[in-house]
Amino acid sequence: MGRAPDYREIEHTADVGIELEAPDLRTGLERSAAAMFDMICGLDSVGVSWRRRVTVKARSGDIENLLVRWLAELLYLFESERVLLSEFSIERIDERGLEADVAGQRYDPERHAIRVEIKAPTYHDLSIRRAGDGWAIRVIFDT
Amino acid sequence: MSKGKLGMKQISECVWEIPRAGGMRVPGRIYADDRLMEHISHEKSPEQVANVAHLPGIVSYSLAMPDIHWGYGFPIGGVAATDPEAGGVVSPGGVGYDINCGVRLVATSLTHDDVRERVKDLVAALFSNVPCGIGSHGAIGKLSQRELEEVMVEGAAWAVRRGFGSKGDLERTEEGGRLGGADPSKVSRRAVDRGRDQLGTLGSGNHFLEIGYVDEVYDENAAAAFGLARGGVTLLVHTGSRGLGYQVCDDSLEVMQRAVPRYGILLPDRQLSCAPVESEEGRGYLGAMACAANFAWANRQVIMALAKRAIAGALGSSEEALGLRLVYDVCHNIAKLERHEVRGGTKELCVHRKGATRAFPAGRPEVPEAYAEVGQPVLIPGDMGTHSYVCVGTREAMRETFGSTCHGAGRVLSRAKAKKMAQGRDLREELSGMGVHVMAAGRRTLAEEMPFAYKRVGDVVDVAEKAGIATKVVRLRPVGVVKG
Repeated sequence: MGRAPDYREIEHTADVGIELEAPDLRTGLERSAAAMFDMICGLDSVGVSWRRRVTVKARSGDIENLLVRWLAELLYLFESERVLLSEFSIERIDERGLEADVAGQRYDPERHAIRVEIKAPTYHDLSIRRAGDGWAIRVIFDT
Repeated sequence: MSKGKLGMKQISECVWEIPRAGGMRVPGRIYADDRLMEHISHEKSPEQVANVAHLPGIVSYSLAMPDIHWGYGFPIGGVAATDPEAGGVVSPGGVGYDINCGVRLVATSLTHDDVRERVKDLVAALFSNVPCGIGSHGAIGKLSQRELEEVMVEGAAWAVRRGFGSKGDLERTEEGGRLGGADPSKVSRRAVDRGRDQLGTLGSGNHFLEIGYVDEVYDENAAAAFGLARGGVTLLVHTGSRGLGYQVCDDSLEVMQRAVPRYGILLPDRQLSCAPVESEEGRGYLGAMACAANFAWANRQVIMALAKRAIAGALGSSEEALGLRLVYDVCHNIAKLERHEVRGGTKELCVHRKGATRAFPAGRPEVPEAYAEVGQPVLIPGDMGTHSYVCVGTREAMRETFGSTCHGAGRVLSRAKAKKMAQGRDLREELSGMGVHVMAAGRRTLAEEMPFAYKRVGDVVDVAEKAGIATKVVRLRPVGVVKG
């Protein structure tokens, strides 16, 4: 079963958001994805029986865009394939974007309790920056 | 506090002005009384009103309705009109992800007494017959690419053609249920994929079906014109363009972000990304947005038809015998080209309403003939378990707010705070104690959507009325809710 990463839910009247830290950018992006799905469904109820290699293109040098496109791609998979994702392993990040192996389980209303429907990651108050020895990420989702 | 930082001044009982400063091209105006402004000034939404005032070609004021709250880029409750001839822009953030999220009201010839003992049956029937919740499929099967293109161009008329409702419904829908200029070639493959099996689905979040009855009449004349009487049972349908609309917004924001530097536009907030209406990007967005808007109207038309069948079936009667008829359908998230009076003449402006409702008065050609003497119905849903209102548009709204008013209440508590407040409480029992029977898809907690998490829509509507931008006609009391 999946394990939720260490993150904080941001208090926001209109929507939901997350804040977290990570030792490097790759881990930060992986944790952001896991935190998003944990908010959607609680990762401890999501097993691993479905896998996909995902490619995300982003604007060169724009890591905010990369974060948003990465999370948007995963939400699209959730809706189009009806899979909840619980494992994320980024294999490549560069100027063009990233490639990752993602895994999870098909959504089953008997097994998975959806806590919130996230429509999209937004740029509102988005922050992805170096902090100390690592990275700090904040992203708010439209719900 | 926002007030001091922005130099905001109260210029009348219900209007506050943010003077032009820095890169603002026009002042800002927020419609609120002292009590609402207490909430508003503690969050960032007034700054967002000031930010919107930076948009090229913006006319008169950057406006905010009494239900203003923090959105991304534009505040929710934001209204802004730009002049395309003066390089005015269109901004997807001024419409929102849920393009043409809106609400329609169905009246019946039933009274509350007729259905008092049958509410649970009605709610169960709606719940079984209208697909709702995450991952719900449409009742009409997956559409082909060609069928979806037809939906995107024809809007509610497509649904009528397929046997969902009748032509008369189109006259009682904003824009006749179809925005012109829809261009399916501007809608991505991904958006199409998301939309193909979602037509006729409610979705989740704050979307709902609600059975209620008229418990107060404020304007007998307008109520009679709308076909609403004290005790009359009603149905509200609140939903939008589902995954197709969200994807169109997402795709458009990417395009607009690339466009902004090309047109030399300086913005204080990335989420205000925009392009001139009369540019390839601007026209492309309006063409795609119209597709999503038309999908939403078709969606509400199909859902209404399913709901009417469910109600008639549950009561062992027919839709005709029960007098089930559409009163009106309004959108809350849209950008439209409309003619308005500006500086002594009329101009075609691009009017953005994000979490705001069109509120046109008697005499406007857009108002259905049946309501020509009275004005356009304005539907303002409360949130689960709270009153909703039907209002009517006013001349003052035309003069002051490009014919716009509020759309609902907006949250006061975050989901986390609402869940904390709900701990140890049996919410279904509480709602039942309030006379509201709820069925919700999924096992999600009701806590986040409880009335205590929201502003009181009555307060918001009272301010809109005091400010002259809507007039109350009736109040609806909920008795049964289906939540996605």
